[in-house]
Amino acid sequence: MNVFEYANPTTTKEAAGLLAAQWGEAEILAGGTDLLSLMKNYVATPKRVVSLRGIKELSGITSSASGLRIGAMVTLQELHDHKAVHDDYHSLAHAAGSVPSPQIRNLGTVGGDLCQRPRCWYFRNGFGLLAKDEKGQPLVPAGDNRYHAIFGHPGGSPGAYYVHPSSLAPALITFGARVKVAGPKGEREIPLASFFATPKREGERENVLMPNEIVTEIILAAASKGMLTATYEVRQKEALDWPLATASVALRMSGDKVKSARIVLGHVAPVPWPAHEAEKLLAGQTITEDSAAKAGEAAVRGAKALSGNKYKVQLARVAVKRALLEAAAHGKEGMQHG
Amino acid sequence: MSKRKLPTQKGLSRRAFLKTTGAAVSAGVVSGAAAELLNAQSTAKNKVAGPGEVPITLRVNGETHNLNVEPRVTLLDALRDRLDLTGAKKVCDRGTCGTCTVLVDGKAAYACSMLAIDAQGREILTIEGLAPEGELHPISAAFVENDAQQCGFCTPGFVMACKAYLDRNPNPTEAQAKKALGGNLCRCGTYIGVRAAVLDAAARMKGGR
Amino acid sequence: MHPEPPLIGQAVPRKEGRDKVTGRARYVDDLVFPGMMYGATVRSPVARGRIRAIHFDENIPWQEFTVVTAQDIPGENCVALILHDQPCLAAEIVNHPEEPVVLLGHPDKHLLEEARRAVRLETEPLPAVFTIEDSLAKKEIIWGEDNVFKSFLVEKGDVDSAWARAEIVVEGEYETGAQEQLYIEPNGMIAVANPDEGVTVWGSMQCPYYVHKALVPLFGLSKDKVRVIQAETGGGFGGKEEYPSMIAAHAALLAWKAGRPVKLIYDRAEDMAATTKRHPSRTRHRTGVTRDGKLVALEIDFVIDGGAYCTLSPVVLSRGTIHAAGPYECPNVRIRSRAVATNAPPHGAFRGFGAPQSVFALERHFDQVAKACGLAPDEFRRRNFVHAGGTLAVSQVIHENVDLPQLMERAFAESDYHAKRARFARENRDARVKKGIGFAAFLHGAGFTGSGEEYLASVVAVEATAEGRVRVLAASTEIGQGANTVFTQIAADTLGLDPELIDIAPPDTAAVPNSGPTVASRTTMIVGKLVESAALGLKQTLVSSGLPGERGGPEGRPCTSEEFQRACAEYIRKHGALRATCQYAPPPGIKWDDEKYQGDAYGAYAWAVYVAEVSVDTVTYEIRVDDFVAVQEVGKVIHPVLATGQIEGGVAQGIGYALYENVVWREGRMVNAQMTNYIMPTSADVPPIRVFFEENPYPFGPGGAKGIGELPMDGPAPAIVNAIEQATGASITRIPVTPEVLMEALEGVHA
Repeated sequence: MNVFEYANPTTTKEAAGLLAAQWGEAEILAGGTDLLSLMKNYVATPKRVVSLRGIKELSGITSSASGLRIGAMVTLQELHDHKAVHDDYHSLAHAAGSVPSPQIRNLGTVGGDLCQRPRCWYFRNGFGLLAKDEKGQPLVPAGDNRYHAIFGHPGGSPGAYYVHPSSLAPALITFGARVKVAGPKGEREIPLASFFATPKREGERENVLMPNEIVTEIILAAASKGMLTATYEVRQKEALDWPLATASVALRMSGDKVKSARIVLGHVAPVPWPAHEAEKLLAGQTITEDSAAKAGEAAVRGAKALSGNKYKVQLARVAVKRALLEAAAHGKEGMQHG
Repeated sequence: MSKRKLPTQKGLSRRAFLKTTGAAVSAGVVSGAAAELLNAQSTAKNKVAGPGEVPITLRVNGETHNLNVEPRVTLLDALRDRLDLTGAKKVCDRGTCGTCTVLVDGKAAYACSMLAIDAQGREILTIEGLAPEGELHPISAAFVENDAQQCGFCTPGFVMACKAYLDRNPNPTEAQAKKALGGNLCRCGTYIGVRAAVLDAAARMKGGR
Repeated sequence: MHPEPPLIGQAVPRKEGRDKVTGRARYVDDLVFPGMMYGATVRSPVARGRIRAIHFDENIPWQEFTVVTAQDIPGENCVALILHDQPCLAAEIVNHPEEPVVLLGHPDKHLLEEARRAVRLETEPLPAVFTIEDSLAKKEIIWGEDNVFKSFLVEKGDVDSAWARAEIVVEGEYETGAQEQLYIEPNGMIAVANPDEGVTVWGSMQCPYYVHKALVPLFGLSKDKVRVIQAETGGGFGGKEEYPSMIAAHAALLAWKAGRPVKLIYDRAEDMAATTKRHPSRTRHRTGVTRDGKLVALEIDFVIDGGAYCTLSPVVLSRGTIHAAGPYECPNVRIRSRAVATNAPPHGAFRGFGAPQSVFALERHFDQVAKACGLAPDEFRRRNFVHAGGTLAVSQVIHENVDLPQLMERAFAESDYHAKRARFARENRDARVKKGIGFAAFLHGAGFTGSGEEYLASVVAVEATAEGRVRVLAASTEIGQGANTVFTQIAADTLGLDPELIDIAPPDTAAVPNSGPTVASRTTMIVGKLVESAALGLKQTLVSSGLPGERGGPEGRPCTSEEFQRACAEYIRKHGALRATCQYAPPPGIKWDDEKYQGDAYGAYAWAVYVAEVSVDTVTYEIRVDDFVAVQEVGKVIHPVLATGQIEGGVAQGIGYALYENVVWREGRMVNAQMTNYIMPTSADVPPIRVFFEENPYPFGPGGAKGIGELPMDGPAPAIVNAIEQATGASITRIPVTPEVLMEALEGVHA
């Protein structure tokens, strides 16, 4: 790890002032589970590290009539354990609780989960986000791509093939989450669905943050009554491993019919991947094996498997189907208990 | 099926000779001057420290330690290299194996994934602080008696993760015990023993035996 | 209170249990020497090439560093093992990625790492070979004359003429991938070295005398000027058999040049990418049987990928070859085997040592042969198991009273195999998550192969002090498997003493005799027997000098510790020292022909039948092992809990081998050298592992014990994949069965 200056601001304004105008000059330290690894591998070599640990305004979850405000420094464990999250945002609590290890849940933060860098082994081995060889050719399509994207990649041309690693983003997006960002010019609010971006050039990042901006909080609208949600993850192994594909669903219901659906896939594209066709298909439907399977089909229409990840198309399809069935099952339980 | 249970034992360290061969390096508990300097810095307008050594204060196993470290020094390196607390081990150094597990404010954390300078103001508990010298904590006793260790390199991390887990979940079921320590890896494959130890330790800590 | 004798068979406390659990046990990275600096290794960036130049970035204060290249080696530039083909530091040519070229030393770890990254090797690439097929096809000659490190031919009966009598012939090809040992403690060494005092190293290792053997020619020193001491070692599994010699050599070269102690600890990624792994393998089977399922001919072609240098490949190949035909009797057998070179880091020892590879192929293949005969897999095995008096492929007559059908019945009873197999077959039709149960039957030879133990001629000493304490002196290392506890049990029982009075001397080549390497399931059976014999010698010395009575104490009872202490003090006062030594001698009747590869390959075998139960989600390709039953006969079990732990651990590693552990290669380099990308089982992935022992004491083992350590690595992979076949109908021929492999196999079933 290179040497760096350590900055310990106590307000977000101060923190933003301590960041640099260029990427790579300064990095934000939240839980540390990702940044320190990147720095030890010299994938990140900041001259300054700005710790957010001392900023009180970034902590805590506040529940109000208008919804939920989640501080960026809230840990995954705190999120999972919070009563309002557990009661009203089931799929989010599940996503937080499914993160590999208790230690990571205790250290890792909500902001860090959204801003962590991709797990792509080309990126982690120093080939860059766009993983090109010396001649500028992309390494992923011709190389080992079993864990890479099946959506949103340039199909053989140079570009991004990694998958976004966020555990929380798919669920958060199904709730229409907004993200509050603070920078030197003040604050702005962005729908989380528009927060993620696919870099076109090496040096660009995976989201729309400016180099001197900080995610400060996540805002969730009040949960609507009777909304059914679920997150389903497909894993090769049960712990200390990232899922191969996930799907989060949120269904607004009218009786036993879906009024509107939000479906977002994780670990399949450089950004959390919305399944709009599947969402449309479900409107007015009841959730059955059949309609869930059809939604799964619709969700992977347009998927472009690489040489070694065809299986992920199937996993994504199934994750959607199972998430829908699970959400519907929660609905039935709810009715029985309620 | 064979019963897997061992009695505990008061053992001698067969490595005692090595301990004396290697001169232990430990940071002295420095007076308040350094700490004052730090306080002065943290109230300064420009809250930037380093990249050279910075005085920091760590609370470890109930004691206060003042030491000088570069900001890049992790909590794990500070514990091991500066305080000679070598029970937490360095294995992956990337937050994926659990051998460096310590408790930070009562919660299990990977010491490799935290900067020492960022760990200030927190209560850190390492395996060395789990029980007074010469005594076995009930969790440690459960690990020994259930032979939940072979090579022993992952064991302190497992014990600390188990402590954090049982503090929150004093009555785990067998199924919960299987997943409780999912943040720790053991290559000797002592998981069956570890699960038994988690349940056994839970019983002991309630005074169940 | 200590347990009552006999201790053999009892679960006595693990000798170092308390030190480990409290964090007090000191491993090499926990040791600090005054004036110590750290070492780092600059490695080859390419698979094969000529070193043109070494560039040192000028932004580093090099004058503060100790820099070592091949030119600095005082003696022979090699890591002495079987051949002397592997250089300690590459001088002109590099033959694999991550091959060591330059060593750096500095007291500041961080600056050292920056410096390591600031050395650039300029190389002229040479054509390289990365697969077994390309190596066999001599696409490029990269080693010797034909890329072959070693080949064996085992012939029994007459295979060529036997095909005519075969009514059914079944062929198959099987592959296994590399597997990283992933001992939790990374490799590491500390060296103190200078021309006056010679070389001393402390470190994590299995075989102190291997390290010793490597350091002597490297420095051109006499044997007494080299000293190797094992520190507490955090697991080995074979991974710390040969590679520690390399690291010790590097630490010592730096220390020699710097004139101060050097600590060289590998980073996990470096350890995974640069050190040895299990040999990848390819096995072809051609099997002839009669219509009623009796074996007529077995023809096996077994090839392993040895990587760039010979290292231990010949012996890995040997064990894999001998185990390739399993615990079956077949009159006509031909096994041809080869270890070939590729431009990957050398593959090496890993628990099982060639056997898991060839056993996987055989036990998968025999399920196919059974199917072709219209027999249940167990019935086919039953008709061909070897019995006492029968012969194995190497024509070794089995003198042990082996009862494989009984082991199989026990395993089936404990796992409810037959009922489950029937139920799963019925219920799977309509199930999305399909269940399957499968098994594997196998054997594992304990100790070195063939004449290996005679060649090693291991020595153990036992000595007593005037205070009545007994020390066992052996170079065998405690690496978690419980060697110290087992030696204590054996010595205490032999002498009739409280185990608290037994000390195990730390393995230190200056203080203990060479009891051989801690490998090959030999420590309990071979070295344990030497401990027993030496302890017996000590006792006889005391008895013959008239000190205690026949059974140790007076009136036919074991002597008390006070009586023993008095006797020791008395003897030492009279004679100066009380010490007994024992050297290995083969059991009577052991014969081995190294030329023909025929005879008594091992003194004894452990025998086993393992049953695995799995669930396979045919839609998400998730595989879970739900239950595991391991039944084995390992002679007399010396310590039931430690033995059970050995089996559980081997099974856990076997589950990883079968399902998760996938080394991804890119031009000879492991690209997933992180614990996040190379995944091994966690607690959540390991099912209940139910371990059962059938005891059948082996007369030449201590207390009747045979070897056990490697056995549990052999059976899980084929048992699991056989279970996957029952669940899904997919006949998978390679491991690991990752989701994409399963998907491909399932598509084959549905097509």
